[in-house]
Amino acid sequence: MKAILVLGCRLFVGGIFIYASLDKLVHPQAFAEAISHYRIVPYPLLHLCAHLLPVVEFVTGSALVLGIGRRGAALLACAMTLVFMVGITSALIRNLDISCGCFNTDGGHGVGFDLLWRDGILFLLCLPPLLAEDSGFGLERFFRK
Amino acid sequence: MLQVPPSTTPTAGSWRPVSLREAGLLMLIAFLATGVSWFLRSDGLSLTADPIGYELELAAPLIQVDPALALYDEGDYLFVDARPSLTDEFQTIPGAFFISEDSFDDDLLGYFDFMGPEDRFILFGDGNLLPISNIAARMKERGYENLFILKGGLAAWRAAGGEISMRTGDGS
Repeated sequence: MKAILVLGCRLFVGGIFIYASLDKLVHPQAFAEAISHYRIVPYPLLHLCAHLLPVVEFVTGSALVLGIGRRGAALLACAMTLVFMVGITSALIRNLDISCGCFNTDGGHGVGFDLLWRDGILFLLCLPPLLAEDSGFGLERFFRK
Repeated sequence: MLQVPPSTTPTAGSWRPVSLREAGLLMLIAFLATGVSWFLRSDGLSLTADPIGYELELAAPLIQVDPALALYDEGDYLFVDARPSLTDEFQTIPGAFFISEDSFDDDLLGYFDFMGPEDRFILFGDGNLLPISNIAARMKERGYENLFILKGGLAAWRAAGGEISMRTGDGS
């Protein structure tokens, strides 16, 4: 039962992260603009974030789906989700009327409280792959001695 | 004899060293992949951002797509496709002129008989404001004062039902 739960969470969260990375990988300039609208990231780091974040999302998502480095990937997913929640909260506090830039860089979903709920649920779904001993049918069992 | 199955519950703190080590390894992979991707992309985004482009201090005011559609129908404005790189075959707004940042002077000279500073223009691109604003600034330096930048670029125009035509790199 635990293995099924871990497998389900891994595939769901991993799939979400892979999907979220694709448009950003193709349009780094547009994603840089989306990040800049949050007014959090300093300009010297803006393009680096626009390059790096989608790749980290893709690598994390792939690792979760395949079940390789499952706990590390889940930890990264938790960390990224927390960062997203901080960004969204910051935008809400400052009444910024901006697109979230979560899944696509062409407009997309506006920043709102529903995004906090969504990310909160995503964070909770990262916990079983992070904490469980069982890999949930992951490929990492083939790499064990 | 009753055998106790191996525990599947994590011991306190046992996940931390493993997850930190794996996360570090995944970040290393991501850094390497980012570097390779940045190196290989011909249209790559520079590693350093120009703050001016992100302060949204645009060289020309933005115009929403609906009023732009109305102005297109009236025919009083000239449309300028200012996308930085166009493939062999691409979509654009019918009748649009082409001015890119790389060949700005040549492009402007080529259209000398067809447009002048007295005309009114709507510049559009792929939705990214920075390159379009740069071209608007350069046009203003040449005396072209009546400029708008189409918000959302060609994608917004297409989504709003604006006319689209196919063009090839040789202008046909």
